[in-house]
Amino acid sequence: MLKSQKHVFWEALLVTVLIFIVGILLGNALEQKRTEKIDDYYAQSEISLMDILIFQDIIKTNSTNCDTLIDSNIEFADKIYEEAILLSKYDDQQLTNSAELAQKRYSLLRTLLWMNIIKTQERCEKDFNSIIYLYSLNQEDLTKKAEQKVWSNMLQDLKGKYGNKIILIPIAVDKESTSLNTIIKNHNITELPAIIINNKVLTEIVTKDELEKEIIN
Amino acid sequence: MDALTLCYFIFTFIGLYYLSLFSLIYLHNIRHIYEWVKPKKEHEVSIVIPCYNGAEGIEKTIQQLSESDYPGLKRIIVVDDCSTDNSYNIMKECEKKYDKLLVVQTPKNTGNAAGAKNYGAKFVETELIGFSDDDAYPNKDAISKMIGFFDNPKVGAVTSRVLVQNRKKRLAKLQSVEYKLIAFTRKLFGFIDAIYVTNGPLSIYRKKIFDDINGFDEKNLTEDIEITWNILSRGWKVQISMLAIVYTTAPEKFKIWLKQRLRWNAGGIQTIIKYKKEFLRKGMIGWFIFPYFVFAWILGIFGLGLLTYRVSRYLMIQYLSTNYSIEAQTAILRINDISFAPSILFFFGITLLTLNIIFNLNALAHSRKEPEHFKRENIFDLIIYMFVYLLLYPIVLIASLYKFLRKDYSW
Repeated sequence: MLKSQKHVFWEALLVTVLIFIVGILLGNALEQKRTEKIDDYYAQSEISLMDILIFQDIIKTNSTNCDTLIDSNIEFADKIYEEAILLSKYDDQQLTNSAELAQKRYSLLRTLLWMNIIKTQERCEKDFNSIIYLYSLNQEDLTKKAEQKVWSNMLQDLKGKYGNKIILIPIAVDKESTSLNTIIKNHNITELPAIIINNKVLTEIVTKDELEKEIIN
Repeated sequence: MDALTLCYFIFTFIGLYYLSLFSLIYLHNIRHIYEWVKPKKEHEVSIVIPCYNGAEGIEKTIQQLSESDYPGLKRIIVVDDCSTDNSYNIMKECEKKYDKLLVVQTPKNTGNAAGAKNYGAKFVETELIGFSDDDAYPNKDAISKMIGFFDNPKVGAVTSRVLVQNRKKRLAKLQSVEYKLIAFTRKLFGFIDAIYVTNGPLSIYRKKIFDDINGFDEKNLTEDIEITWNILSRGWKVQISMLAIVYTTAPEKFKIWLKQRLRWNAGGIQTIIKYKKEFLRKGMIGWFIFPYFVFAWILGIFGLGLLTYRVSRYLMIQYLSTNYSIEAQTAILRINDISFAPSILFFFGITLLTLNIIFNLNALAHSRKEPEHFKRENIFDLIIYMFVYLLLYPIVLIASLYKFLRKDYSW
């Protein structure tokens, strides 16, 4: 008959804890890598925005450089739009709050861009198609979540179709952001998701064709 | 970290712990899985077979047991529990053919196997008493491969390895996989003195212990689990012989399978309630078997709840977004929706699943010491077993809980 093997319970616990620690460390490294990637993008975006803001100040008195300014805005908007798509993939996958923090920072950055676009339009007296897509970051309401998904899909399709002819700025609304919430209030937006197309606010789902018409007009 | 993520971590940890435990027990005892003990002395044994409407299989059961190569098998007692079919006549015919066979009949139908078993036990005068089912077919060396364990005076009961005889229908095939995995893990439990059930198809007990505990609990739906816990709670050891093979007929129809499982699980709850005082108190029953049972129940039901929540939430979002997509006249399905950015939990899940598959494949590989006419389980059955059968099994647990709460103790 075999001798008692009760020690195996402790061995199993040790093995499990080891696997868990290794798993947590690897997972943490993975998240860290993603966070660093996002941080890099963010730093570059921040530089680009600062560049635009300075450039805007330089041409305050000279509207002949407006085309360059508009192009810079569009180019920058496209860049952070791509980054927004990347970031959204990590949203649900991070266990730490690094992705959420990045989202909040990006939201402010995108709000700054939005404000800058408004200023550029005023300064250059030139209209160009801008779509601001405001959505909730941690939407728990399933109906709203589904609405956000459909809006997001439609906007991505239209962005894909018109490329840099339209500026699409998706902004995840953080309840704690004073500036963003003030802007939302100024636009009389009471519920999310909402879309602002050249100052016109949409909160109800419309057909893709109707949305396209709004953008093109 | 939200509550749901924490739940996933706890689940993963417990899952990994049990898997590590089984794997370590296996690695420590890899050479002893198929070990059996040649008896130093001849322990006399009698086998009792309860039978209620078992005309289909009783003759073969009697024949198989009569052909046992164990010389100490003194008596085979078949107890007819007032069958309404032809069972009794078949038994009587068999009695003429087999010397060791004694056919008895209960004064009235007892309504459960335990009653018939206890009635049959009254006719047993040997040192050991064994029980079989009327649809169980032990190999002729099954008893001789079990008896040697009784040389250890601490061993109170020895059970066998049950395999499925009928493997043509899908449901029976899945049960075949299940029985093999159960037998393998039960053997591993044996190395830590934690075998929690002595199966109905063939188990042997010391008659003295059997008498001391007043036999099977006739109120319990799973008298074989209850008697094992009773024996363990008195400090006796229980062993399993992997070479003692007994074939059983698994239900082929869902309704019969469900009825059987409801009974098993409701009986499990009865046993847990009956022995609740043992929890974290006495030996392996209190420190391992009891918590293991309770954990299995909680994790099973809670896991199903969690899965249902996730799946229904996902389906609801899909349904709503499909409606909105139709309303917006835009594409319902898009290639961009498919993205792969795995999280830590994903990797934990994959690790757990992979280790589980490896463990199960290894367990099945260990079960191949079977007669040639039984083909190996195919991988498809294992996949269905792991991803459908086991995943949906908690529904049976919930239904069993309902049966128990309704005090429906019918067979």
